Amino acid sequence: MSLIKCHNLSKDFGSTQALNNVSIELEGGKPIALVGPNGAGKTTLFSILCGYISATSGTVEILGSPAGSPTLLGRISALPQDAALDPNFSIASQLAFFASLQGYKSKHARAEAKRVLSLVGLLESANQKPDSLSHGMGKRVAIAQAMIGEPELVLLDEPTAGLDPANAKKLRELIDSLAQHTQFIISSHNLDELEKLCDQVIYLEKGQLTQSVSIQNNQDDNKFLTLTLTECDAQQVIQVIQVLSEHPGIHHIESRNAKEFLIERVAINQKSTPDKPLNNTYEVESFIFQQLQKHHWQYKQLLNGKRLEDTLFS
Amino acid sequence: MQAASTGPSQMSNSVTIALFELQKLFNNKRGILSIVAFSLVWGIILLYPIRGASDYLLSPDFKAFIASFFGEGAVNQLFQWQVAELAVFWCLGLYLFPLFSIFIAADQFASDRSRGTFRFLTLRASRNSIFFGRFIGQMAIQLFLVILAVSATVLLAISRDSSLIGAAIFDGVLVTLNLFIVLLPFTALMAILSLHASTARQATVQAIVFWALTSIAMAAINFYAPQLAMLEWTLPGAQLSSMINTQGMDSLSYSAIPLLQALVLLFIGRLYMIRIAL
Repeated sequence: MSLIKCHNLSKDFGSTQALNNVSIELEGGKPIALVGPNGAGKTTLFSILCGYISATSGTVEILGSPAGSPTLLGRISALPQDAALDPNFSIASQLAFFASLQGYKSKHARAEAKRVLSLVGLLESANQKPDSLSHGMGKRVAIAQAMIGEPELVLLDEPTAGLDPANAKKLRELIDSLAQHTQFIISSHNLDELEKLCDQVIYLEKGQLTQSVSIQNNQDDNKFLTLTLTECDAQQVIQVIQVLSEHPGIHHIESRNAKEFLIERVAINQKSTPDKPLNNTYEVESFIFQQLQKHHWQYKQLLNGKRLEDTLFS
Repeated sequence: MQAASTGPSQMSNSVTIALFELQKLFNNKRGILSIVAFSLVWGIILLYPIRGASDYLLSPDFKAFIASFFGEGAVNQLFQWQVAELAVFWCLGLYLFPLFSIFIAADQFASDRSRGTFRFLTLRASRNSIFFGRFIGQMAIQLFLVILAVSATVLLAISRDSSLIGAAIFDGVLVTLNLFIVLLPFTALMAILSLHASTARQATVQAIVFWALTSIAMAAINFYAPQLAMLEWTLPGAQLSSMINTQGMDSLSYSAIPLLQALVLLFIGRLYMIRIAL
């Protein structure tokens, strides 16, 4: 059974077409990223999946049931964008109420509210009202509500938007730890974040599905290396390209910016496996490190594969 | 941790939502303040017009005055009530409670929808459960307020004449039941307006505009197309002026009108709820 199956999904808002014949089939596994510029239709797609709005045409199935079906109640959950709890009641009472709607009896509903609040590290704020929380805390509470009843699928619409780096990191760690048991679909503009959390990336643009990329495959094919140095001047950039181009295993090298280089290896028609990694002598990598040492260049990162933004936008 | 069992039924979730509405009233500063405000208003009404009611209603002069004002037979039943306090309460409550209803039930959905809280709810409860749960909750709140006001009136009557206890309780139950039925279509209409409006105030304004426009429309229909005058019965509260001059079990004879209106309005509201974008 597919996680999500969309067929020719379209949504119009008046004369604006937010989604245009999106067809996609997603399988469960690692978290899935939904990427796209503002107005690409990400939130619209999430809203259709959650049953908040209905599609103008096309079909969508989640966990084998049509979106909005009563059989999905409690099985899918979401962190909707710009949704807030009632400011007049304590967080714990509202979360317990949500839990009771999912079938928890009174005592267990309160315990479930506490459990999800502990997950996001906000148990001590349980009796506070939503308005007394900071933006970051509010976001964590919204994630806590999404985890009530351990749903099978959780849709997170820009979970770290507006969060400070420390809270964003905490949230990423939380999602990463929960992803062992829960399937997440995450919409975000933060590609670095998605690269760390997700495997599959769906790219929407102007309401159309333009790309579907597997980060794992991108790394597995061993075709590219991304080298980031600490600081480079223009002269050094030219020198790095010249020096590294000399290796016979390197097909092409180009600077992505003043500090970052995309290195394309000579094509090898072989897939790497964990027990037999491709280029297991790390010939190219060794050469790069030798040159770094020789020229006293400080490196910041050597990444196997392209950055997500290079994959999506190159 | 005990996992949730199989999902609760729609009815069960409606009850959970309705109970949470009651909890909102009693466990919240705003809710308690509204009960206090309601009690104060009814306290004043009880202390002045209702407490003095027995004297007025038993006075032949007053009866003649009322008859000359409204017409002989128009209010004759008013003087048949055994408990004069409840007679006055009936006249006032029949109009005041629907008016309160417009304010009390105005926020059935408006705030939650504009705030996005609905999105959290619809992940766990069907739209039907939410719609009917909120409606039942609002009716339960209004029933509580009606019982509060009727009980105070009954106590007032008994404090004047303890022999009235049996009649006061019987009439009090009938008044409560009648008012509950009267409030059904008002609450159902407010459910629809509250779904449409983005704030409770907007829903209230829309309700006032609705009644103002429909009153003008009905007046025009009565004048230009009197054969369509029966359309008036489709409006919530159309039967109120006729109900004034009823008492006891006779008042229930008008129940079919609000019950049918409520059914139609709930049907429309449910359709709207299912189709609305959240």
